[in-house]
Amino acid sequence: MSRSVSIGPVTRIEGHLRIDTRIENNRIAEAWSMGEMFRGFETLLVDRDPLDAPVITQRICGVCSVSHAIASCKAVEAAIGLKAPRNGRYLRSLTLGANYLQSHILNFYHLSALDFVRVEELLDYRGKDPVLRGLKIWASQEISSGRILPIAPFLPKLPADYVDNNNWNLGALSHYLEALEIRQETHEMTSLFGGKMPHTASLVPGGVTCGVDPAVVESFRTRLRRVRRFIELTYIPDVIAAARLYPQYAQGGQGVQRYLSYGGFEEDNGDWLPAGTVIEDRFEPLDTAAIKEDLTASRFRQTIAKHPREGVTVPEEDKKGAYSWLKAPRYKGLSMEVGPLARIMVAATANSAGVGDALQAFLREANLPASVLPSVLGRHAARALEALLLSQQMETWLDALKPEEASLAPYQTRPNGYGEGLTEAPRGALGHWITIRNDKIERYQCVAPSTWNFSPRDQHQQPGPVEAALTGIEVNENYQGIEAARTVRSFDPCIACAVH
Amino acid sequence: MKITRRAFLKDASLLIAWLGLPQTLTPSFAKALEELAGGQAPLLWLQGQSCSGCSVSLLNSTDPGPADLLTRYLSLYFHQTISAATGKSAYQSVDKAIAKGGYILAIEGAVPLTIKGACRFADEDFADLLYRAAAKAYAVVSIGTCAAFGGILSAPPNLTGATSVAKALQKGNINVPVINLPGCPAHPAWMIGSLAHVLKIGIPELDKQGRPMKFYSQNLHEQCPYFSQYQKKNFAKALGDEGCLFKMGCQGVVTQADCSMRGWNGGTNWCIRARSNCIGCARPQFANDRNFPFFRLNEKDLQA
Repeated sequence: MSRSVSIGPVTRIEGHLRIDTRIENNRIAEAWSMGEMFRGFETLLVDRDPLDAPVITQRICGVCSVSHAIASCKAVEAAIGLKAPRNGRYLRSLTLGANYLQSHILNFYHLSALDFVRVEELLDYRGKDPVLRGLKIWASQEISSGRILPIAPFLPKLPADYVDNNNWNLGALSHYLEALEIRQETHEMTSLFGGKMPHTASLVPGGVTCGVDPAVVESFRTRLRRVRRFIELTYIPDVIAAARLYPQYAQGGQGVQRYLSYGGFEEDNGDWLPAGTVIEDRFEPLDTAAIKEDLTASRFRQTIAKHPREGVTVPEEDKKGAYSWLKAPRYKGLSMEVGPLARIMVAATANSAGVGDALQAFLREANLPASVLPSVLGRHAARALEALLLSQQMETWLDALKPEEASLAPYQTRPNGYGEGLTEAPRGALGHWITIRNDKIERYQCVAPSTWNFSPRDQHQQPGPVEAALTGIEVNENYQGIEAARTVRSFDPCIACAVH
Repeated sequence: MKITRRAFLKDASLLIAWLGLPQTLTPSFAKALEELAGGQAPLLWLQGQSCSGCSVSLLNSTDPGPADLLTRYLSLYFHQTISAATGKSAYQSVDKAIAKGGYILAIEGAVPLTIKGACRFADEDFADLLYRAAAKAYAVVSIGTCAAFGGILSAPPNLTGATSVAKALQKGNINVPVINLPGCPAHPAWMIGSLAHVLKIGIPELDKQGRPMKFYSQNLHEQCPYFSQYQKKNFAKALGDEGCLFKMGCQGVVTQADCSMRGWNGGTNWCIRARSNCIGCARPQFANDRNFPFFRLNEKDLQA
């Protein structure tokens, strides 16, 4: 007996995603990841001034704008022969780091946690926490008012096996609200060096325009410590609690278990996070020449799979066999998982940046085996651990800033060039590729983290990483897709980035 | 912390001060907030071709903060980034809201009319959902430059036919008041201030482009702290330099927005204070002309 369940739209993510599944014997037998929006950023960049690129590409995504700015600046710099000075590189890392914290906290508390929380428990709250009491009164008024959709946006939800655990359910709701304020604070940090958020002003080819003002540096540091405290005392314990309360999600949804990272956060002695891949549990150095985008199941005019340097974007909505607006990037022909788990796996396997030791310590303290990592809650744990390590490392970057030195290189350019700009966005490996001819952009291509993770099938019918992670997941016949939704959100989808 | 009449009065007084309105309006504003909280004037928020940047910006609101915003100020029927509802429960929520009608419809993102399938919600093209939802709305608020004017997405070659909400509604013969809140993203104060105004006092005073005068009547350059540098002809010779950025291509001179007075992210910073150009992100023509770059560094005779 086979039946189909469609989750469209998948909400509490960035963008327009639909997941279709075919279920056999109460397991997902096949899944299709469908990107439901296309805008054409790559096409509207053509014939523009190369300096427009970071401004425009940031607007691919309101959650990940800093990452696009940095990838774009690096691509333009590589093409025109410009290099950001040391201060500029550290300011970029701090701006990007602050936006990681923003994105990771948002993903866990505001996008994912409601999948694991029994919201109705609020109505029976008898304790003294003024935040929860206020929320309870609001919820009761919502119900008694007789309005349609009471307690929205927290209800209605999909039916599921929400645990009966007062501490967890009420704690998570209280932390949801607290995390709203903390997330806001991370954006204030990003804005201190970036100019404003979403969509920064100060990140330009050659460095960062704002310079190093010691008062601003300390303002950033004060906020960073507050955020770090939240990560250590609230975020990490909540993720560990979820893994204990929902053990079935600490083992399902392993996915392809092949990981890719471009590395990033440049320090004086190289990148803090290493570039590379893990394939069959072995670390290999990164070779970007091995990246090709396959268009077989994508709504674009069919060509052979091409490297982004030669990539083209011609929409063809009704192409036969196509079911998604995403392209399908492959590395040496393989689908690869990207994101915090991939970065942690690559760094730990390469034994760099002390990440392996930090990971072992984290697992020991949480009393969890390493086998939980490739799973739904393992991805959340990797994200939380990364937030913790980053919030610690960012202090050293603040210390590295030198107020007396420039943050921006004197501008110089050349009329023709090609550049590859790689960085790690909160959600994973992000690359921009630019070709400049006669001072104008001739070709521009982006491959974003969610393009990798949510890619559709390719010419060999190889499913994308999320399609693979969904396959085999056990589902309850009375539910309407909660198991798939939980799995999908562990990858932190950003479909505006994925399609652009 | 019971939500009392007194609490509403306090919130209302804050909003009034912040909108620059006379304090005598406080009682009527308090009533508006009560109606909001009571679900009598709810908000339905839908995303077209968007980047979610305006949604994230909404959560950056400082006065009121985001938690109060969700549970006290806004009665959200549905929001794609925030709602617990997903899949079937999501489109059922939207259908329920539309059946009831009478909400303020907030639209983030542009509307693709050439390739209608370039933005979909459940089994429906976004343009059709917009028409269905707008027909039952009390008013439509176009949030951000994409929804207000088409924005970056409507720049050539505009393969999807990305169109502003107002133009799309015109083509669909749907007659409903539309308020434009451009900005890439829109500032949280512009969003909340305008929504509160629509709710109580009614549609705010709008300019010819459909923008609330309160937030968009000022020329950014004339309010800029570097305006005196401009008058003294003290121009920055590079990005990051002191002095007015006019010769770097700063578009403050042609941009109507109050950023220079208000700042961004709780006042922590804004583009020009960070020593980069205003890129005119709130302009109706934002990013539309590829021969009008955001920076003039590649002009040969720049320093002449």
